[in-house]
Amino acid sequence: MTASADSKVGADGRRWPKLGLATVLLLVTSSPAFAWAAERVGYTEPLEVAAERTGAETTGWYAGAFPDYTVPLGTIPGGGDILLSGLIGVGLTLVVTVSIGHLLREHK
Amino acid sequence: MHIPDGFLDLPIAAMFAVLTAGAVGVALKRLNGELPNERIPLLGVVAAGIFAAQLLNWPIPGGTSAHFVGGSLAGILLGPWLGVLAMVAVVTIQALVFGDGGLLVLGANLWNMAVVNVLVGYAVFRLLEHRVPVGRVFLAGWAGVTAAAVFVGLQTGLSSAFAYQLEVTLLVMGGGHAILGILEGGITHLVYRFIREARPDVIGGRRIGRAGGVEE
Repeated sequence: MTASADSKVGADGRRWPKLGLATVLLLVTSSPAFAWAAERVGYTEPLEVAAERTGAETTGWYAGAFPDYTVPLGTIPGGGDILLSGLIGVGLTLVVTVSIGHLLREHK
Repeated sequence: MHIPDGFLDLPIAAMFAVLTAGAVGVALKRLNGELPNERIPLLGVVAAGIFAAQLLNWPIPGGTSAHFVGGSLAGILLGPWLGVLAMVAVVTIQALVFGDGGLLVLGANLWNMAVVNVLVGYAVFRLLEHRVPVGRVFLAGWAGVTAAAVFVGLQTGLSSAFAYQLEVTLLVMGGGHAILGILEGGITHLVYRFIREARPDVIGGRRIGRAGGVEE
């Protein structure tokens, strides 16, 4: 690879994480629309179907700080709950995985 | 796909927690001191992207919905062991912070989505490299999520909460996800194709060199 090609890839290398994060934010901001649409058709996952057929019930002793992607502040209109939960989750995931990456990084 | 507390018998939950701990231990051992700095942002972006993609419940007319799981994509983009760790982070945050998946059954959920989904998806991707070069990413996405669902079917079907109705749980989980897996395979294929065109050097198994170039 030539020096100029190297520098081009290097420049992209600095830019692509920002583009990737912008895409992630786009996904999160579209989540209220998906939640609304899924609600309209009746959201049922296969595991819920199996539980219904066999009579299985959850114990539900731990709900988390943001139960089922809601927020403790109360309902936020327009799907704001899932949007805020999504932003918190994405932020946490980034922090945790980048920290794991730093712990595992190669020794030079 | 996320199993809540109460669905699995404790011995089954414990067994899969031990298996998961073993797989995560192997991943940490393989990667410790080996991860190039240049791949750390990719790890963060892929994991965050999978978290965000799992938020999207795709409405399917007829009264069902599915969400992208992303284990195969993580394995393909990050490589198998880093993919496992990325999915471990996503699924653990979902359980601890959002109550999505139980805590007592976290080991089983990690086994299904962070170990089986990632490793089966990656294995299919690599095995079909020369035989099915065009459709292998789709098949990897489909196979990974279906294999994970079959494990959910096994774990629940062998538990008292599901009255040991293994045939029901396997049929609903395996059969249901074999169909819903078409969506998983399609999204995996599209995301992979986009990234391969835009940044081929970040695909798993390749390594970004010190100057930013690709080292095979």
